[in-house]
Amino acid sequence: MSVHHASEENNSERRTFLGVISGLIAAGISAVLGVTIGRFAISPALSSGGAETWTDVGPLAEIPEGKPTKHNVIVSQNAGWGEFNSQKLVWVLKNGEKITVFTAVCPHLGCTVNAKEEAFICACHNSKWDVAGNAVAGPTPRGLDVLEHKIEGDILKVKYMDFKQGVSQKEVLS
Amino acid sequence: MAEKSSKGSMLMNWLDERTGIRHAMDEALNEPIPGGSRWAYVFGSLLLFLMILQIVTGIVLTLYYAPTADHAHASVAYIQKVVPGGALLRGIHHYGSSAMIILAIAHLAQTFLYGAYKRKRELVWGLGVVMLLIIFAFGFTGYLLAWDQAAYFGTKVGTAIAGEIPIIGSLQQKIMLGGTDLTTVTLSRFFTTHVFLLPLALIALAGLHVLLFRKAGPAGPYHDRDNHRVDRFYPKQIFKDSVAMLALFVVLAYLALKWPAELGPVADPTSDYLARPPWYFMPLFQLLKYFPGKFAIIPTVVLPAIIFGVLFLLPFFDRKGERNPFKRPLATALLILMLAGAGGLIYLSKYQDRHNPEFAEKLKQQDEEMHAFFKAPFQPQQIGAKTVAVSAKAASNDTVAPNAYMESCADCHGDKGEGASAPELLGVAAKPNRAHDDLIKILDDARAYGLKKPMPANFPDLKDEDKKAIVEWMVKLK
Repeated sequence: MSVHHASEENNSERRTFLGVISGLIAAGISAVLGVTIGRFAISPALSSGGAETWTDVGPLAEIPEGKPTKHNVIVSQNAGWGEFNSQKLVWVLKNGEKITVFTAVCPHLGCTVNAKEEAFICACHNSKWDVAGNAVAGPTPRGLDVLEHKIEGDILKVKYMDFKQGVSQKEVLS
Repeated sequence: MAEKSSKGSMLMNWLDERTGIRHAMDEALNEPIPGGSRWAYVFGSLLLFLMILQIVTGIVLTLYYAPTADHAHASVAYIQKVVPGGALLRGIHHYGSSAMIILAIAHLAQTFLYGAYKRKRELVWGLGVVMLLIIFAFGFTGYLLAWDQAAYFGTKVGTAIAGEIPIIGSLQQKIMLGGTDLTTVTLSRFFTTHVFLLPLALIALAGLHVLLFRKAGPAGPYHDRDNHRVDRFYPKQIFKDSVAMLALFVVLAYLALKWPAELGPVADPTSDYLARPPWYFMPLFQLLKYFPGKFAIIPTVVLPAIIFGVLFLLPFFDRKGERNPFKRPLATALLILMLAGAGGLIYLSKYQDRHNPEFAEKLKQQDEEMHAFFKAPFQPQQIGAKTVAVSAKAASNDTVAPNAYMESCADCHGDKGEGASAPELLGVAAKPNRAHDDLIKILDDARAYGLKKPMPANFPDLKDEDKKAIVEWMVKLK
């Protein structure tokens, strides 16, 4: 222990030095903690939106010819500690080699599109599309949204996506 | 420079006119410290720093934490294993809880030894004693939140102890649990208590504690050798406090990175997990061994009530002015006895576990399971079915399962292989390592394929033709 004198109170240089060191310590701890917390908090924003996700529609052989059929597909979304699987609807139309996959979300306001007498309708606001997905009647701003598909082995796969509703151009939501 | 500083003082004048900040800063920083600044006085500031650290790390942990029995463990594993900085922040919060208890006891011991709880400071002291209790409550409620084996069974025991208290015990236990068993409701109320109620209480009491302390002023040393010396809080005491804070922060961060906060496998209520409390509840745990049955209330209620009651009321019956610990042999001896007693009980508890072969073996096995889980890469929790309309597909399976399947497998995998408590078997043959021959081998040695309990390791009761029949049926499941 050093010997202290009352006069040390007036030693302004030493006062400043101790004050500066104290301030540096506080700033250092805050900086380390702040950077750590910042990375911790914003890491989901920095991660890439996830790889392309293909999901199975089903065996190609089971899809009927020339008639739109409805299929449930699973869309998996990684969010934090969970992989959240949800079911989505798609319409598949097979004409020989040509396959078209539509999302069942109405491009107007998001109701579920149905098929009737080999054409598509949306019961919410009476939009209609022909079997190729072209808009024929009702308030729909565009044709049915086509989803990218591929065939692996004998399984039909689709890349499920959501599109912006109410606009005439197909726009991917991500 | 001159212009800058005048601008600075202009801003200061503007602020001061509206807030009175100069006077407030003067009050806060120029508080006289009779007898001079001391390292012995750092504990109060350290506790304030630690409280803020715990609040900050606690808040950010809730960015990812999910307080439900189904997801709590997965979310903590995600924080620990995946999120950048998660291990560090969770580690600081984990070790911070122990540091809080150690420093609170050190703060109390210093105040006690210096006789600084006496006249004029009775309320400051009393608030401190209540805050120590709150800190223990933080430890108890925070322990459950990870929902691993240790958390689940530790809390099971803890709430059972609360239930043994005569008259109010059983109601108290039901209130704590939110029912008769430890469930997701229990987790919710522990979470609410840990992150809302206790912090509010602690912040309020700590504020009052500091306010009343400032009103009474520091007591200074117990002797008058340094009477000629008076430091101000700024800069000398602040400097010592800052250095101590830095040391504490470095130690916590080092511990968090070197020995990460533990996380074992998810709670399994059917297992025979051997629960051991965190170190700060170990004296109580050890004492319980000596007071079986209805005497258990001695260590669980009577003794803590006496200790905290005496501590709380201490300044009211210890009214002599003497503050020198060397001239208060009874008080000093009592403190040493209590701390040594608590330390001795912790040691004894560890010693007995080490020297009881059955316990030592079980604890070692649990420790290995914990480390195995800890090292394993993070597995995201599956939410929602991963396959489409399982039941409809299973229903379309018109083949009838062989009898051997119905007897040995159907209870868990479903009558039509649609899955129940165990995964579905539909389309299993299309998966990797699940060809016809693999499936036969799995029935002989499931562990070799990485299948875990409750899947049996093998089926000694099944004949070879039974296994063949099962697998032949299984590979047809689409």
